[in-house]
Amino acid sequence: MTRIALKVNGQAVERDVAPRRNLVDFLRDELNLTGTNVGCEHGVCGACTLEIDGAPARSCIAFAVACDGASVRTIEGFDDDPVMIELRAAFNAEHALQCGYCTPGMLVTARDIVTRLPDADEARIREELSGNLCRCTGYVGIVRAIVSVMAARKSSGGGR
Amino acid sequence: MTAPVEAGAKGVGASLPRKEDDRLMRGRGDYVANRRVVGLQEVAFVRSPMAHARVLAVRKPEGAEQQVFVLADLEGVKPIVAVCGLPGFRVSELQVLAGDIVRYVGEPIAMCVAATRAEAEDLAELVEVDLEPLPVVADMLAALTPDSPKVHAHWERNAFLESMVDDDLSAVKRDAAIVVRRTVRTARQCMAPIEGRAVVAEYDRRLDQLVVHSATQMPHINRTGIAECLGIDQASVRVVAPDVGGGFGYKGILLAEEICLGWYARRTGRPVRWLEDRYEHLSGNANCREHHYDITGYADASGRLLGIDCEAVVDAGAYSLYPFSACLESAQVSSILPGPYVMDRYRCHTYAAATNKPPILPYRGVARTGVCFAMELVLDAIAREAGREPWEVRMANVVPSDAMPYTNITNKYFDSGDYPECLRRTVAALDVPAWRARQKRGEPDGRRVGIGLAIFCEQAAHGTSVYHGWGIPMVPGHEQCFARLSPDGALELRIGAHSHGQGMETTLAQVANEVLGIDPARVRLIHGDTALTPYSTGTWGSRSMVMSGGAVAAACTVIAERVKAIAAHLLEAAPADLELADGDVRVSGTDHSMTLQEVAHAWYRQPQRMPPDIDPSGLETTAGYKAVRDTGTFSYACHACAVAVDTELGTVEILDYVIVEDGGTLVNPMIVDGQVYGGLAQGIGSALFEEMPFNADAQPLASTLADYMLPGATEMPTVRMEHMTIPSPITRFGQKGIGEGGAVAPPAAIANAVNDALHDLGVEITECPITPRRLLAALAEAKAGR
Amino acid sequence: MKAPHFEYEKPATLADALRLLSAGGDNAKVLAGGQSLGPLLNLRMARPDLLVDIRTLPELRACEDDADSVTLGAAVTHAAIEDGQVPDPTHGLLARVAQGIAYRAVRNRGTLGGSLAHADPAADWVTTMVLLDAELRVAGADGERVLRVEDLVEGPLSTCLAPDEIIVSVRLPRLSADARWSYYKFNRKPGEFAEAIAAVVHDPARGVVRAVLGAMEGAPHVIPDPHALLGGDIDALAADIVTRSGFAPDTYEHRVHAVTLRRAVAGLA
Repeated sequence: MTRIALKVNGQAVERDVAPRRNLVDFLRDELNLTGTNVGCEHGVCGACTLEIDGAPARSCIAFAVACDGASVRTIEGFDDDPVMIELRAAFNAEHALQCGYCTPGMLVTARDIVTRLPDADEARIREELSGNLCRCTGYVGIVRAIVSVMAARKSSGGGR
Repeated sequence: MTAPVEAGAKGVGASLPRKEDDRLMRGRGDYVANRRVVGLQEVAFVRSPMAHARVLAVRKPEGAEQQVFVLADLEGVKPIVAVCGLPGFRVSELQVLAGDIVRYVGEPIAMCVAATRAEAEDLAELVEVDLEPLPVVADMLAALTPDSPKVHAHWERNAFLESMVDDDLSAVKRDAAIVVRRTVRTARQCMAPIEGRAVVAEYDRRLDQLVVHSATQMPHINRTGIAECLGIDQASVRVVAPDVGGGFGYKGILLAEEICLGWYARRTGRPVRWLEDRYEHLSGNANCREHHYDITGYADASGRLLGIDCEAVVDAGAYSLYPFSACLESAQVSSILPGPYVMDRYRCHTYAAATNKPPILPYRGVARTGVCFAMELVLDAIAREAGREPWEVRMANVVPSDAMPYTNITNKYFDSGDYPECLRRTVAALDVPAWRARQKRGEPDGRRVGIGLAIFCEQAAHGTSVYHGWGIPMVPGHEQCFARLSPDGALELRIGAHSHGQGMETTLAQVANEVLGIDPARVRLIHGDTALTPYSTGTWGSRSMVMSGGAVAAACTVIAERVKAIAAHLLEAAPADLELADGDVRVSGTDHSMTLQEVAHAWYRQPQRMPPDIDPSGLETTAGYKAVRDTGTFSYACHACAVAVDTELGTVEILDYVIVEDGGTLVNPMIVDGQVYGGLAQGIGSALFEEMPFNADAQPLASTLADYMLPGATEMPTVRMEHMTIPSPITRFGQKGIGEGGAVAPPAAIANAVNDALHDLGVEITECPITPRRLLAALAEAKAGR
Repeated sequence: MKAPHFEYEKPATLADALRLLSAGGDNAKVLAGGQSLGPLLNLRMARPDLLVDIRTLPELRACEDDADSVTLGAAVTHAAIEDGQVPDPTHGLLARVAQGIAYRAVRNRGTLGGSLAHADPAADWVTTMVLLDAELRVAGADGERVLRVEDLVEGPLSTCLAPDEIIVSVRLPRLSADARWSYYKFNRKPGEFAEAIAAVVHDPARGVVRAVLGAMEGAPHVIPDPHALLGGDIDALAADIVTRSGFAPDTYEHRVHAVTLRRAVAGLA
């Protein structure tokens, strides 16, 4: 066991972890933050995407022990985030989720696209989404939702 | 046609945003893996590394005797047996942990229990299994040859079932000006919901009840199966299916793992969980859809279909699983192959071959994707022979508009529809002449453009009269709903089916709104718990909107009558003069009304206001539904696409994709669209990407999502969709099941487009997925042959 | 699946990291970004006793920019390169390649040095750095050495690095202002492993022409006479080059590599 200290959704957390404990299992099983889902454990499906130090990362192939000192933000930490509020409204309006299992990771990636690439066109949005698999929606609503949030932010002068 | 939906409408026909989204978007979904139980232990399974072997010994690690369990430990546990009643069915038994023989890679051999999954896996690595290899049956065609080794030693032949729809084809053979014979093959696939299977088993001492949380589409069926295998009363088992992260048929099955964990929880009293990981999913659990067809189409010179002769083989894997059995696909192939077409003669011989591969399981569009692929490739081949546009040949062969309802050559009753109109609209939407012109011009980048289409009809929500003939462990009949108007005027609905993406928390609330006028926001759907909901076969076969929708309407109708009886007394009006709308009970043509809440309040809390002769059954009821006919609704659709084929790299880009679909009355068009889009993405996976290959030793060759390729956002084209909404005459609102159709046609439409692009190079693809490797090989072969 | 048991150390300095690796012997392994090692650990295909995490070592994060070259710290992430946060002496080749690696969430963690040391034949950096004739500074218990990337890869997932050696930095020659490059990757969908890669750089001012085939069975193939690619019958030439690189004619691998090479050359124009 190794002692780690990190921030999770703004809260300081200190725990002993087995070095092999991956970040998502640590969050789910030890911190009871079950919003981040596990889909493949090899970094392909994107269900477990969350933010480490402000950037999207795969929590299934990150070890908790290697996140000592880091700041981690899970889907539960985005409740009041203004961009996420817009994205949630758009995902709901565009039917961008069905079973919801990929959705937390999808939203974290969507938020990254909206904030990092405010001028991205649809083709680029699709490319940026390629690391998040959804088996339900065919991505139609997801792409539409992201496009609509980006358009709304542009027309309101936000998003910069 | 249904009337246009009014603005602000919330009933049947409204694209109401989903009630379930909020919790799922905020990470508050309640999947099985989220369940927190004190003392929860985790399970890893030792699985067979060989496809066929005799189990000589399984040695537990020293000191771990109480953590590692083999079949001999599971006293009283019965194997999983799913008999199909069709004549000649050969019975298999799957022991929940391996007995003397293992018959596929991934078959569970031992269960290891530890504090964490990682430690359980450590333990699993220490279990020593002595296996003596037996000859492996890896290919379904080889399996059926007389000298093949046997998957089940006592069987005469490696076939769960051989079935025959026979006919005399001598006349059509004599008369046919066009004869096309093709060998068609579809790959073995994995369903790959993003959430794998998941089971948490606990023992409730107070109720002497095993509580199994399982990611299942059919909690009641699993409960029955678990109780039967454990040899206990069904009342001693409760199955809870909370939020489920995608099903697609994969979770419509009784699991050996559920039984193992259930046995452990009952024996020890300790809670335990198993979460299927992607490796287990891909390499050993999730097999579907491998078909082989030797199919001949007979037509006259104009392309009019005279007859079809087919020999079809489905690779059913090693065991028959509960409840759908190993005949799930093969038994349907022969009955649905004719599709939407009229023909004079039809013969189909079908085999459910047994091989040393994981058992075949249901997947969205069971059997339909394969038969549509085979049939539509043949139709295109006939069109090429006839020198006509493929859509023209289809127009000449689909059931004519005025023939509906129509009973087809395999005795399927097409309840309603207009297939020619569907074709016409699709062809118009694709703009065939424009693509033909572009094809003539050629592409500046040298790629070759082609267009293709596929039309199909899809039986859904079919019931007893269809399933009893199969004699499988589960025969659907009726569907129930429990409804209760609570004292505050909110409505609680309980159904035995399960919603795992279909949005039933929303659509069934819309049904309630349609009948009761209640705001969908005030409707709560409870599902996925055998302790709380009426018995149901669950969610499969595109049945829920028809069956549960019908049941909800029936229950709400009863509640409406009782509400009216109470309100009539309180409003001093005749029940017949009352109408329910916008949450109110109103005397028609007046502003005299009261709210549902006031009615409920009066019933529950002011019984003194009730008339003496009031029906004491109250504002809750369980009501049932059965369709006017139970032969199923037939939704149908035509998919058409344009593709560009890079003949150098063998890649296919979809340039345009059009769908014209008729799902009857659409309860929520937005959700219907979502189902079709999602099906399309899976169909594109089948067409171009998804394949679970096995080598000659039946070892699976894809174990990660880097090897088993699922379509992403870049692989999904922009889709244009149109709806026809011809109501079904046999369902409550005219709705039809449409959950699977999106996944049925894409391989056929895309392959036809590829063949259209390449036919003057002498290439005709008859196998999917159409991978670069396959396409380049076909191009090279055609080049060498010329 | 979950990773097997291992010990974990996150040393503060390169020297400490080297000491830990030496002490750990063959069963110690470097953890850089972990984006390739993580999956291998989870699949239990990698089973080290000790992981030495070098991602935050300051020595591996430094970048230098001089007249002839740019040196990138081995722990620079793909995303940093994609976003232009580090100097790029190639007029955009690095950013372009970086953007095509896996997915953004992976690029945020995965590192240049980690990718090179992992030596997946289908990976982009191995091919790109061989194309650019980049050099590695490698630190070991006995000091440092400089190594051409071309000499690094010995086979699939296999390099000439000793278990206790660490890639410190990658030195890339600066391309001239009028240099041209072309990079063509064939993969079945974005982020997937490449089926074939071909890359060409033509830098007349420095007299450099290099062409490389990637996604080989082992190391990238440096095309021996790249000048010939700049003129002549490219179809026959590409096929011949791919045959000489080791792929049998009339195989899928041969076909896609030949096409990829032709397209890379065409992209140079």
